[in-house]
Amino acid sequence: MNEMKPVEAARYVGQRVPRKEDERLLRGQGVYVDDVELPGMLHVAFVRSPIARGRIRSIDTSLAREAPGVYAVLTAGDLARFKINMLSFYLSAPAIAIAPLATQRVAYVGDPVALVAARDRYLAEDAAGLVTVEYDEEDPVVTLDDARSGPLVHPDTDTNAAIAMGEEHDEDIEQRLAQAPHLVTATIKHQRVAQSPIETRGVVVDKHGDGELTVYISCQSPQMAARYISLALGMPQMSVRVISKDVGGSFGLKVQPWREEIAVVAAGIVLGRPLKWIEDRLENLTAANQAREQEMTLRVAFDAQGHLLASHADYHLNNGAYPHGADCNIAVSMFLWAAHKMPGFSFYTRGWYTNTAGLAAYRGPWAMESLARETVLDIAARKIGIDPIEIRRRNLVTRADQPCTTPFGIPLEDITPAECLEILLEHLDVAAFRAEQAAARTQGRYLGLGFATYIEPTAGSAGISVLASDVAQIRVEPTGKVTAVLSTHSQGHGTQTTMAQIIADHLGVPFEDVSIFEDDSSRGGFGAGASGSRQAVAGGGASIKAAELLADKIKRIAAHLLEADPAQVRIEAGVIRVVGEPDKTRSLREIAELAYGEPERLPPGMEAGLEVQYRYRPPPLTLTSAAHACIVEVDAETGFVKIKRWLCSEDCGVMIHPAVVEGQIAGGLTQAIGCVLMEQVSFDARGNPTAVTYKDYLLPAISDTPDFEYIHANTPSQAVGGFRGVGEGGCIIGPPTLVNAIADALAPFGPIPLELPLTPTRILEVIEGRSLAPKAPGHAPPAAIPAAPAPTDVQPVPSPLAAQVPPPAADSSIDGTWKLVLATPLGPQTFNGRFKSAGNSVTGSLISDIGTENFQGVLDGNNLKFDLKVTKPMSLTLKYDIRFDGDKLTGKVKMGIFGSAKLTGERIER
Amino acid sequence: MKPAPFDYIAPATIEEACAQLAEAGGGATILAGGQTLMPLLALRMSQPFILVDINRIAALRGVTRSEGYTRIGPVTRQNEAIADSTLAKSLPLLVTATRHVGHHQTRNRGTIGGSIALGEPAAELPATAVALGASVEARSVRGSRRIAAADLYLGPYMTALAQDELVVSIQFPDWPSGTVNVFREVAMRPGDFALVGLTGAVAVKDGHIERAGLAWFGMGPTPIKARQAEQALVGQPVAGLDFDKLAGLAVADTDPFDDHHATAAYRRTVGRRVFARALSEALQVHQ
Repeated sequence: MNEMKPVEAARYVGQRVPRKEDERLLRGQGVYVDDVELPGMLHVAFVRSPIARGRIRSIDTSLAREAPGVYAVLTAGDLARFKINMLSFYLSAPAIAIAPLATQRVAYVGDPVALVAARDRYLAEDAAGLVTVEYDEEDPVVTLDDARSGPLVHPDTDTNAAIAMGEEHDEDIEQRLAQAPHLVTATIKHQRVAQSPIETRGVVVDKHGDGELTVYISCQSPQMAARYISLALGMPQMSVRVISKDVGGSFGLKVQPWREEIAVVAAGIVLGRPLKWIEDRLENLTAANQAREQEMTLRVAFDAQGHLLASHADYHLNNGAYPHGADCNIAVSMFLWAAHKMPGFSFYTRGWYTNTAGLAAYRGPWAMESLARETVLDIAARKIGIDPIEIRRRNLVTRADQPCTTPFGIPLEDITPAECLEILLEHLDVAAFRAEQAAARTQGRYLGLGFATYIEPTAGSAGISVLASDVAQIRVEPTGKVTAVLSTHSQGHGTQTTMAQIIADHLGVPFEDVSIFEDDSSRGGFGAGASGSRQAVAGGGASIKAAELLADKIKRIAAHLLEADPAQVRIEAGVIRVVGEPDKTRSLREIAELAYGEPERLPPGMEAGLEVQYRYRPPPLTLTSAAHACIVEVDAETGFVKIKRWLCSEDCGVMIHPAVVEGQIAGGLTQAIGCVLMEQVSFDARGNPTAVTYKDYLLPAISDTPDFEYIHANTPSQAVGGFRGVGEGGCIIGPPTLVNAIADALAPFGPIPLELPLTPTRILEVIEGRSLAPKAPGHAPPAAIPAAPAPTDVQPVPSPLAAQVPPPAADSSIDGTWKLVLATPLGPQTFNGRFKSAGNSVTGSLISDIGTENFQGVLDGNNLKFDLKVTKPMSLTLKYDIRFDGDKLTGKVKMGIFGSAKLTGERIER
Repeated sequence: MKPAPFDYIAPATIEEACAQLAEAGGGATILAGGQTLMPLLALRMSQPFILVDINRIAALRGVTRSEGYTRIGPVTRQNEAIADSTLAKSLPLLVTATRHVGHHQTRNRGTIGGSIALGEPAAELPATAVALGASVEARSVRGSRRIAAADLYLGPYMTALAQDELVVSIQFPDWPSGTVNVFREVAMRPGDFALVGLTGAVAVKDGHIERAGLAWFGMGPTPIKARQAEQALVGQPVAGLDFDKLAGLAVADTDPFDDHHATAAYRRTVGRRVFARALSEALQVHQ
């Protein structure tokens, strides 16, 4: 164990101290949203669409309104006054309009259509059953295949491809792939999963007077939720206070409030009564946003010795109808080969709309890159005839190779997947295992060993503004106790303990004297809370810096009082003393009472009180590395997989609390086991979900998880405190580790399908060497979906206004101001473009919130081309290629390695 | 997930319960342990007008022995059955099967009779009742009748019980000495319903199969008796059994389905192996 000690003498950081939150949680004294009871509170139930796609013909709420105990029944029209704009993840603008309640159309089974507020939830559900909605049902778009060929999910779009990035065909890469000694091609499919937090979504809204709102919500950050609510409702004047004390897990589902929560908040304002909605498990497994459902075809070329030469990834993601953000998950492409010596790489990635529940984040949303890369590396090793460990050794970036830069321009300075692998191998006798495996096979027992390595971006602070910084406000109360308000937010992470460990160490006070508050947006400043494995790095760094500032002030006060040199003042266990002068001591309480109550005794000019704040921006990216190994036995009679050993060798920097680190890894790995072996959200051909309770949606139980073996191969990061994030890693590296072990076990029978979950049926098919497929396929596509016209066939439809008043002269000119929308990996970016032509030359500028960029371009008929150099979020040359027609324009923007993004525009001024 | 409105009564006697069921005219549902019914009520998949709670009827609980059979009161908790010394001696197969029903926590409340009367096709107890030749006594204001378990199950959650009938006892006949039990369940996780399940008993006398009662669960719309295999077994010397052939016959009686967890082809394939292995191991014959 080569873990680093942080600055000064650590007494709590690195220790397995009892968690402050455990007694409260274990005694059932936690406070979750459903524990909130307010006087006069009403309970909400939703009326939801029973069909996946169609038009709402009518909604009759009259019977429901008269039902016992019913206070109100609201539909979209009742919330229209708010002009609600749902925002995409990280508060960016959505690609499509999303309303909290369905307006004219429904787009998935479970789409909320109406909201009933009643005296209790029973009565609300009774009344919800009395709302009659008539639909014109249409054939739904359910699968990725449906999305590619079926009708439009959103009629006002021109394709079901929500977003596309990259290049389908890169000539240089294609040539390298074609000429390589070894080419491995595999298609990897990851099923859709449900985040399944033990606490479902829930919200209580309480309006006070005209301008104040208190919202209790299960969320990943009270500040983020408050900001989201105020922006979505378009009511910046309203003071929104969000309280979220304890959270029973989120895993990405609660990054932001979504349709139901916003509907309840708006309804609470309309009705002027406190409202509560607790999502039940049926709603959670059907109507809450879900995750994954990805397909990747990965081609990788190797030389004769197994060194990487080139790769192309073709990637598809099912966004559902209303995703938290129209996504093609660019991080999948960014991190696919980030830790490898990969000379050439291209990708093409698309996110697709379908008539299913929308996409949300899930612990390691880009995890597909590790699943694809690590499984394909094993296939390549078998094909080339080298060991799976060896193929990794030959291709991983080692410490000696750094600093270097990935093909995407990510600087690598201190990643250690290769080193984690070597340390792992010190704890695993591979030769002995291979002998045991060979012997077992002669007895008809099938053992397998799988490896995987990965790196993970944690606490990213560049590019996404809400993730840029975290804040710590620490004060010593007049009682001498320490209170810290942080922008972190525990979802079960134990930040009330880990942040207290840090503050206790850096302030020099007992751990027991430090209390952490992170549950109330009105207490502290903005931060993204639990998101992107950031809390240890960003929150920990902020806590260290703030505690240091406060310790410095205390020392200066004590030095002044005790007539000592501040450099000789120490704070230890809450007592202030002077080195070498045992008589000169003060308790922290004495200093605090004086700082607040007798400011005249402070050093001249010093501010009264003992309160500081520090907002910390961590490095742009802090990378965590790991190598895992797993040993399984596959029962050839039933196709069941038993996990016998699982070793984790991870580098998560300085560990604050080893048990919290191990808990994070174990939790992620358990979800990984679920993904590989049993979890599956599925739909029938009409888009009806088929696993709607935990009887059918199987989560791994304790009996499915081994005792994980942790090897802490830590090296300190560049961040303050040396921490690296560890929240998502298990969920990313776990799936390929287990899949590779199963593939190794089944090697005598042939290759396994890379399609999750690897159910007993799929595994037995490999063992039997024959299909055990369903007799009458239950998931056949609908018989006849009329194909949407290919985008190239779409004729631009002139706007009604343009048709009435044709401006013939303007048709041939681009001059004027245009509103432009660029579909980027971070969501659509909206800005204005001003163009002025003179002959074949055009000068112009692009104007957005962050500034104005000027350019010069070349005109060729109705085609305009120009280049623009930008430095944010990274140095890129953007190549614009625009075709304009009347007051509309379309085009594409080539963004270096990110490939092309679609541009659309509308003239707003001549 | 809150139940639709219903009336609730908790009669103290069998007669009172039967009277209530008769009066409800089909609108009543019986509440025993509630481990299936409560979720169905919460999902509004079951919407009875009246819930007749039989937990207070003392006569419906406990295990008694009579000449030739063991009688179990339907409201006997599954965990009580597991701990019952009479059952340990007279019906060890039922104890083994009950250990596979749900989880320790659900077995504290779940009842033997509730599971048998519900007729979940992938559940352990209905198949065990069918395999061992058990019968239920159904009582109503119209009288009392005995229904063989083999005739009880008509389809998933569908039984021959009338809407006004209450199961007041389950009787398991004694099997001869020299009986060996067969039980094997393949489930996704411990406590889950079976993908493939086999339960039953084989009586051996003088090296020959004297009697066989074997039934599948999770292999069709109801518990399924492996009739062809049973017939082929009876009278045969243990030493000469062809387990693969018997397994083929046993699977031939099944009618498994494709579902979210496994395909019918999987169930048949694994069922064949489970049958051959479980039976040969029970008879201590090395294949």
